[in-house]
Amino acid sequence: MIRLENVTKTYGTEIPAVRDASFEIAKGEFVFMVGPSGSGKSTLLRLMNRQEQPERGEVWVAGKDINAMADSKVPYLRRNIGNIFQDYKLLLNKTVFENVAFALEVIGRPKHVIRQQVPAVLDLVGLSDKEDRFPHQLSGGEQQRVSIARAFVNRPLILLADEPTGNLDPATGEGIMRLLDRINNTGTTVVMATHDQRIVNMMRRRVVQLDRGVIVRDQERGVYD
Amino acid sequence: MIARISYAFRETWASLKRNVTLTMAAVITSAVSLLLVGSTFLIQRAFDNLLTRWKGDVELIVYVRSDADPNQIQVIEDALKSQPSIIDVTKLRYLDQAESYAEAQKLFAGDPGTLRLLTPENIPSQFKVVPISQDSNLIRELGEQFRGLAGVREVAYAQDVFDVVARVSQFIRIATTAMSIVLLVVAVGLIWNTIRTAMFARRREIEVMKLVGATNWFIRIPFMLEGLLQGLIGGVLSCLGLWGLNSAWSGAVADFNDTELAALVVTDGYMRFVMIILLGIGAIAGAVGSGIAASRFLDV
Repeated sequence: MIRLENVTKTYGTEIPAVRDASFEIAKGEFVFMVGPSGSGKSTLLRLMNRQEQPERGEVWVAGKDINAMADSKVPYLRRNIGNIFQDYKLLLNKTVFENVAFALEVIGRPKHVIRQQVPAVLDLVGLSDKEDRFPHQLSGGEQQRVSIARAFVNRPLILLADEPTGNLDPATGEGIMRLLDRINNTGTTVVMATHDQRIVNMMRRRVVQLDRGVIVRDQERGVYD
Repeated sequence: MIARISYAFRETWASLKRNVTLTMAAVITSAVSLLLVGSTFLIQRAFDNLLTRWKGDVELIVYVRSDADPNQIQVIEDALKSQPSIIDVTKLRYLDQAESYAEAQKLFAGDPGTLRLLTPENIPSQFKVVPISQDSNLIRELGEQFRGLAGVREVAYAQDVFDVVARVSQFIRIATTAMSIVLLVVAVGLIWNTIRTAMFARRREIEVMKLVGATNWFIRIPFMLEGLLQGLIGGVLSCLGLWGLNSAWSGAVADFNDTELAALVVTDGYMRFVMIILLGIGAIAGAVGSGIAASRFLDV
């Protein structure tokens, strides 16, 4: 599903954020990218949906070399990739329903599809009763569920999660992880960057560990270490 | 498709409301610059009217002293008629003092001081000469021969007026064109800035849109529509202004009918043509300015 070949990414003249990274993620896998702040986890995620382009190496997603594709094709790539962030990135002037609908609206999905898909995904994340709330009326965990609903409403092949539990208390974070696990069980590939040891140890999934931009460990059913 | 269109219009309208002051500045600037563009067209056309009127018409006027006796007048007329290779004898016209006075009443309608000094007794009579030859030197040579003739007060050439009018109209054209170009650049700059502000206000939404895979065109179109609307509203305002100006001018000039000034009126048909051009320029400048701005701030 995702394959990186000798990828190096440098910001400015600094030392590389990612150096010579190579790995492959199979369809339906759940992978943790772990390591301290600045180790290059987020950069790796941003390389996977072409928010960043590497200096060297290739990034293959769903059978395509995404840095070789034309700019005009990038939006269609991204329709297959959902994104979740530590700070949720919800639109504050829109309700829960509108935030999720927005993701379908701006890729031109018709109204009747939106009316059908949005309640279904809100049901999946457990927010059916809060459709008309605004983000500031929700707890952090609920806001993150809205952002997961928005990322998943178009049924993407891949979900990229950048520190999704970073702003949440442990119990709420566990709830989010159970939700991501359920989404993973539907066949969606999940790549999650985190430095939350407890969660990694709890999940026992594949762990790719980074240190100053270099992959130092890649382990099936690993722990944070 | 309908969903996309309604999305674009909803966003455009929301954004216009959000940036009222900046939008107003952009609209007013483009209106003023387009008004200048339109004025340039109209002034140009008016002067063209004036000049074409002279062209097919009288080129040379021989003014006869008010105290000239009929014999002297006859000599002048005979001398003119003896040059059928240069002047069109059939179109040679003599305006006696009463006729010249009547003409002066209109010519100097805007200048009562001069008019008070004129009486049917002291006004010169005049021969209006239409040449056959296109050679202005030849006409001038002929005219100079009359200067020395007894009873001749003055010889006037249309060419002299023509030159002045041509020079004035060229000056006005250059000045208004330069000003309207400068203002148009300012207007596009303001539209650009409005769009940048609008995009900054919506940067979160744009970020989300890009992440969920909205195409750049989808993101860009509401902003382009906004710029297009600003240019178009500016165009409509400039059309109203131009129409008002032209009406006021036509009304004022109507009092000077039958003089050269009357030629400076632009007819409705040409006015409509200019208005369409103004709306077109406004819409295109707005759409292009905002389109470039939107692309600049929309790097993938």
